[in-house]
Amino acid sequence: MLTQMQVRGLMFDPYTNAYIVILRDEGNSEMLPIWVGKPEASSINFAMEGVATPRPMTHDLMKTVLDTADAKIISVVVTDLKENTYYAKIHLLYEDSEYSIDSRPSDAIALALRAKAPIFVTDDVIQKHSDEEMDRWLENLKPEDFGKYDA
Amino acid sequence: MDSSLVKLTVQGVWTDASPNAESQVVLLQDEAKTSVLPIWVGTAEGTAIRMALEGIAPPRPLSHDLLRNITEHLGLKVAKVVVTDVKSNTYYASIFLAGKQSEVTVDSRPSDAIALALRTNSPIFATRDVLERQSPETVDPWLKNLDTKGLGGVA
Repeated sequence: MLTQMQVRGLMFDPYTNAYIVILRDEGNSEMLPIWVGKPEASSINFAMEGVATPRPMTHDLMKTVLDTADAKIISVVVTDLKENTYYAKIHLLYEDSEYSIDSRPSDAIALALRAKAPIFVTDDVIQKHSDEEMDRWLENLKPEDFGKYDA
Repeated sequence: MDSSLVKLTVQGVWTDASPNAESQVVLLQDEAKTSVLPIWVGTAEGTAIRMALEGIAPPRPLSHDLLRNITEHLGLKVAKVVVTDVKSNTYYASIFLAGKQSEVTVDSRPSDAIALALRTNSPIFATRDVLERQSPETVDPWLKNLDTKGLGGVA
């Protein structure tokens, strides 16, 4: 099962010195933060704000190549989460055939925003994300945290 | 204006040694080793070019790997990339894509064009005009500066 997500915002994480793209579903019941590098974050930001740069950015170039070939992005899907790394696929329609291309979610999202293509996340990823978050929370527990509820 | 093409090879990527510079410099040279073309690129593009030069395959596809994969899926071959113009210190490039029937040209920053060309083993050219329009007065002192301070940035 797939859940459609919207890009709701971009945050800076001072601890990892990286940027976080916040994906949320329509009903605001699911939230998926994805850590991305600075250039990908600024590319996503340009697309969100509708800023046209004087020279084409890398994702603008990808979009131009697709347009030139009359290929269309059907959707992008965040497909997997392994050891804190997210995986995505870009689904293309080209000459009546469908192709899916392996991608980092950051590139997929930057491209989807430019092509006005929908962004989906598999239920599996949403599940794994909440599991990993729980694991991280458990790992970060310190012995003193346990004492807090002692009467 | 001489629009004949000169074939260039990428000599390397250096970190700009000037203070507060966030950019990197890609150095291109012609086969006769008579002209050098330095092009300032962003850090991400500099890294993408350096990884291709060193033959490093990243665990996940970087943006230019994705760009190459897209062209492959569309059956497009990168015939060549050409640095076509320089206007107020901004360089312009074109990517020549050969499809089944026709060839199309796509406007690009030179950094993206070079990063793609290195991943597809495509030749890189500049117009004679672009090479001649760089004044030696600006390039030479800069190259001297690079030799003494910038070379450490290769690793």
